[in-house]
Amino acid sequence: MDREQILNRKTSISYKSEEETVVRGYNLSDLAEEGYSFCDALFVLFQGRIPTEEEEKMLEYETAEFLEHSMSPSAAGAISVISGRPNLPAAVAAGIMTFGSAHGPGAAHGYMLNQNIDRAREEGKSIEEIGKQVVDEYMDAGLAVMGMGQPQHTDGDPRAEPTHIKHEELLGEDSVYIRLQRTMETRFNERRQKEGRSYVAVNMIGAGNTALADLGFSPNAAWCIGCVTRGFSCAAHALYTMKKGRAWAASKREPMVQMLDLSMIKYVGPEDREVPSLEERQEYARKQKEQGEYKKWAI
Amino acid sequence: MGNLNDPRLQYDYLNREHGTVEPDDKRERFQWVSEVAYKNVHRIVSRGYDTTELVEAGYGLADLIFVDFQARIPLEEESKMLNYVMIMMLEDGLSPTAAISRIVTKSKTLLTQAAGASVLAFGHAYAAYDAFGKMMNAYLGKVDSKELSLSEAAEQMVKDKLESDALGISSLMLKDPAAGKMLARAEKLGIAGKYTSFIKEAEAAAQKVFSEPVAVDMLGATGAVMLDLGFSPESTWGVLAVTRAYGAGAHYCEEVEREGYTRLGQNLTPKENYDGPEKRPVPTLDERAKFAKPGQAKTPQEWRDIVDERKKLKGSGWSIVEEIDDPKRKI
Repeated sequence: MDREQILNRKTSISYKSEEETVVRGYNLSDLAEEGYSFCDALFVLFQGRIPTEEEEKMLEYETAEFLEHSMSPSAAGAISVISGRPNLPAAVAAGIMTFGSAHGPGAAHGYMLNQNIDRAREEGKSIEEIGKQVVDEYMDAGLAVMGMGQPQHTDGDPRAEPTHIKHEELLGEDSVYIRLQRTMETRFNERRQKEGRSYVAVNMIGAGNTALADLGFSPNAAWCIGCVTRGFSCAAHALYTMKKGRAWAASKREPMVQMLDLSMIKYVGPEDREVPSLEERQEYARKQKEQGEYKKWAI
Repeated sequence: MGNLNDPRLQYDYLNREHGTVEPDDKRERFQWVSEVAYKNVHRIVSRGYDTTELVEAGYGLADLIFVDFQARIPLEEESKMLNYVMIMMLEDGLSPTAAISRIVTKSKTLLTQAAGASVLAFGHAYAAYDAFGKMMNAYLGKVDSKELSLSEAAEQMVKDKLESDALGISSLMLKDPAAGKMLARAEKLGIAGKYTSFIKEAEAAAQKVFSEPVAVDMLGATGAVMLDLGFSPESTWGVLAVTRAYGAGAHYCEEVEREGYTRLGQNLTPKENYDGPEKRPVPTLDERAKFAKPGQAKTPQEWRDIVDERKKLKGSGWSIVEEIDDPKRKI
C-alpha cells in the first residue's frame, strides 16, 4: 500500500508515522488516553499548549452553545444541498461554507479587537479610551459596529450575554479583550440612546469571539472553531431532511407546500419577451446595449 | 420556431403560459419543518432542550452532539468516549483532508472554503464511515435474523469485502497501537457493544484470510465505537468529517503563514509528466469533417469497442465504475 505523503510540505502541526500520530509534539492517542477532552485538543492544535481547566470549560461552553442555531443560513444551506441527495459531506461542507461576512463574520471581529488593542498601546491610551474612540469612529462614519445585533434575536441573542458572563466568571473581567468589547458595547448603546434609537445587544460574534480571543485563539483559528462547530448541526439537519424529508423538496404529494414548490417563486425581473431570431440578433443586441435598460437588471 | 412545433412534443410549446405559478393556498404554507431544532426571538432549542440552559448546566460539546443527533443526554462515559474518538480524528498529518484544504487555501480563499474542502474529502475510501457502518449493519442483520452466527457473519463479511476500502481491517495500524487502545477504552468505559465485538470477530476472520498481517484500523475502531455510541453510519460520517475540519483550519493558517498564495497560471506542469497524445496541429475548421469522428455507437458491440478505446484516455472517466445507489427513493 502506497503510504507516501500526498503534499510535499514542512509542517509544525503534526506528523504521522507507522507508529503514531503526533500533534504539536503530543501523541494523539496519549492525549485521549490521559482523559483530555476534544476542546483540550483544539488548544493543542491551534496553540500548541494544554489549556487550564477554566479555559477548557470556557471552550466547552462556547462550542456547545454555538453548535445548534436552528434555521440560520448554515442549516438552510445544508438542507437545500441535501435536497438533491448528494453525498452527505457535500451538504455539511455547504453549511460550513455559508459562514462569510454576514453569518458569523469571519475573523474580522478578532482582527478589529487586536488592531485596537495594539493601537491603545501605540497611542498610550487605556483600553476604555480606545474602545469609546473606535465606536465613535465607526458610528461617525456611518459604519456598523461589529459584534452587535442579530436579525432573528431582536431582543438580544440568548447565547451572547450568558457567554460574556461565563467568560468573566471563568477567565476574569480584567483582560484587554473583554474590557475592550464591553466598553464598545456600552459606548455603542450610549450613542444610540442619545440618538433616540433602541438598545442593541451584543451578538455571538461580539461575545463568542471575545472569549475565543481571550482563550488565545487567533482570529482565523477562532473563526474555524465557530464555523466548523456549526458543521455538526448542519449534518444533523441534512440527515433529518435526507431520512425524513422528500428529495427535491418539490413534491405535490406532500400536505405542505415544499421549499422548492413552483408556487414559492416570486419573479420580479424583466417581463417575458420574445426571443429574437438569429437574423435579427445583431440589430436587436445593438439596440438593447444602447438603450441600457439591461443595466437595471445586471448583477 | 426551431423544433418547437414538432408534433412529438408533449404539449403546445408555442402557446405556453407566461408568469409564475399562483400561490398554493390549498395546502399548508411552506415552513422549515424540523425534528432537530427550533428557535424564537429568545431561545434556541435542540431536541427539546434549551441550548443555553444545557451549557449553563455544564454540558459540553460532545454532549450537544449527542443531543443534536440522538435527541438524548449521553452518559458521562459516552461523552468521554466521544471526546476520545474526536481527539483521535482531529489530525492525520498531511492526509487528503489537510492537503486539499491547503490547496484550496493557496488560491487565497476564505478559511471556510478550506474547511469545507476538508469535509468534502471524506469519501467512500478515505474515512468511509457511511460505507463501513452500512456494511456492519448489513452483516449484523444476518446475525439478528439468525441467518448466521456472529463468527459466520464476520467470516462472510471479510470474504465479501476483502477488497473493500471500507472493511476497517488492514495493515495500516500494525505498528501504531492507537486503534487497539481505542477499542480497549471503549470496553473499559462500558461502551463496547455489538459493533466492537463484531469488528473483533472480523479481525480474527481476516487474519486467517489475508496473506499479510492485518488488524482493526482507525476506520474500523472509530467506526465501531461510534456505532456502539448510537450514531448511525451517516451521523458518524458527518460528525467525524466535521471533527477533522478543525484540523483543516490549522493547515489553512500554516499554509498562509509558511507558503503563501498561488496566482492563476503560476504553476507549471513539466512535459516529462505528460503522457497524453503527442502534440499535433489543430485542423482548420474547413478540415474539421476530415478529422472529426462521430462518437455514437449503433450496436452494443460498437459501444463496447468505443468504451474500451475511450478507457485508454485517462481523465475521460471511462475507466471508473462506481457503485450506484438504489434509485428507488421517494422523490
